[in-house]
Amino acid sequence: MNTMNWTRYGEEGIRIVFGNTVSADVHEKVRRYYFFLKSLHLQEIIDVIPSFTTCIIYFNDQMTDADTLIANLQEKERALPEIAIPAPATHTIPVMYGGQYGPDMEFVCSYAGLTPDEVIEIHSGTVYTVFAVGFIPGFPYMGTLDKRLFVPRLEVPRLKVNEGSVGLAQLQTGIYSFESPGGWRIIGKTDRRLFDHGQEPYSLMKIGDQARFVPL
Amino acid sequence: MIEVINPAWLSMVVDGGRYGHADIGMPPSSALDRYAYTALCRLLGYAAGMPAIEVMGHDFSLKVNTDLSCAFTGARVAAFVDSVPIAPWKVFKVKAGSTVRVKEVTEGLRYYIGFSGIIVAEKVAGSFTTNLECRFGGYFGRPFMKGDRVALKDVRDAGERSIDESLIPSMKGPHVLRIIDGEEAGSFATETLKSLFETDEDPWYKVTTKTNRTGIRLEGRPLEFREGADQSIISEGILPGVVQVPGSGQPIIVLYERTIGGYARIGHVIKADRDLLAHLKPLDKVRFQRVAREEAERLWSEKTAWYDAMLRQ
Repeated sequence: MNTMNWTRYGEEGIRIVFGNTVSADVHEKVRRYYFFLKSLHLQEIIDVIPSFTTCIIYFNDQMTDADTLIANLQEKERALPEIAIPAPATHTIPVMYGGQYGPDMEFVCSYAGLTPDEVIEIHSGTVYTVFAVGFIPGFPYMGTLDKRLFVPRLEVPRLKVNEGSVGLAQLQTGIYSFESPGGWRIIGKTDRRLFDHGQEPYSLMKIGDQARFVPL
Repeated sequence: MIEVINPAWLSMVVDGGRYGHADIGMPPSSALDRYAYTALCRLLGYAAGMPAIEVMGHDFSLKVNTDLSCAFTGARVAAFVDSVPIAPWKVFKVKAGSTVRVKEVTEGLRYYIGFSGIIVAEKVAGSFTTNLECRFGGYFGRPFMKGDRVALKDVRDAGERSIDESLIPSMKGPHVLRIIDGEEAGSFATETLKSLFETDEDPWYKVTTKTNRTGIRLEGRPLEFREGADQSIISEGILPGVVQVPGSGQPIIVLYERTIGGYARIGHVIKADRDLLAHLKPLDKVRFQRVAREEAERLWSEKTAWYDAMLRQ
């Protein structure tokens, strides 16, 4: 764990950096540490946000201070190699590609120099890993996308992206769990519900899960 | 029960926030002015966590159908029970059939209304607060509309408490937001960082109309990146008060509705100044001032003293 870098993050946060590139190796370290943090059930930790390369800890600064918490975690982390990590779930996501469901399919095709069928084949031909869930509830940031489908984000984000939209951004693919503003290139739509506030677990996907898209 | 006669621009149920699920993207969606919210709970004799109403805009009015006590905190308002003016940050009594009306907001933007009974609202993941974007929590996951009827339970007498004038924060502009350095502060040009220190120049930003509960978008002299610096980062967890700078150089202050972000972070609005964010409205003038972490901590301990004094009222 000598690859971890700890810093303060604002006044009530701690940032642990596990690497500076998006990779399966860094992801695995983030994920392991996230489950380790969860397993401690520390009252002073209000939230943990794991993502591609970091874990952000939001702590209660009335209960502890950052230095004490960091020392406490570094002491406890000797148990890290032994903690049990839940097996990732695998999800199958049916998608209607293109047309009214994928307003950016045409752009992706011309940017990538591919036909819609080729885009669909490549996009649905990979099993993706969920690297992070967030910005909005249940939105999975998944990778790694085949390099042939690399596209930049929209320069001006849309004010409204429909719920269920499947998008691409750089080497990631994601699903809009709710209607929201967004800058990813939309190539299709799913009717799978990604978030249900009425029932635990609220989010269909969690960090480390695997997903594949199936064209309808 | 209460009936919403006029919901103003935006009124909704809030509380101290929804925590513990940021790992699946659930944001706090809390009351934006936490001091005002805490004071409201104190006035009405509740522990923090009770549902309250957060309102933006004048002409908010509601009718009550039972005798109860009520209080306002947050933005300064000219409020009336029927035609009798009432003081904010002070418990007042309302008789069944009366109308409570806010005629005008005189300072600040968002104000909070609470009752001496618990607002019956949807609780999701431990919180009553409304997630407007995802339409859950609070009053059917949405803002109030004219004619909405809201049930209250356990209505009782809340006594006579008030918060002393000296413990009501100023919300007058122009606003200075103090920040501590963010993770990508080093990605910005030396001149840009220097301008955040100096008060004689003109580094004022204007709050734009593209401002909502998710974030405050500012417009002014672009914050310039150093040559060759990465303008976007690998997306990662963010906390309220982060000041993000997209390629345009126009800063965005993140509020309580996002858990992950991908723009360069020039700073974090210090905890002591964060409640002020609830009161920034379009066209307001704002400037940043860089402070050291120790100074941020000192300012927070000052604010803590305010909290302590307020909670003794």
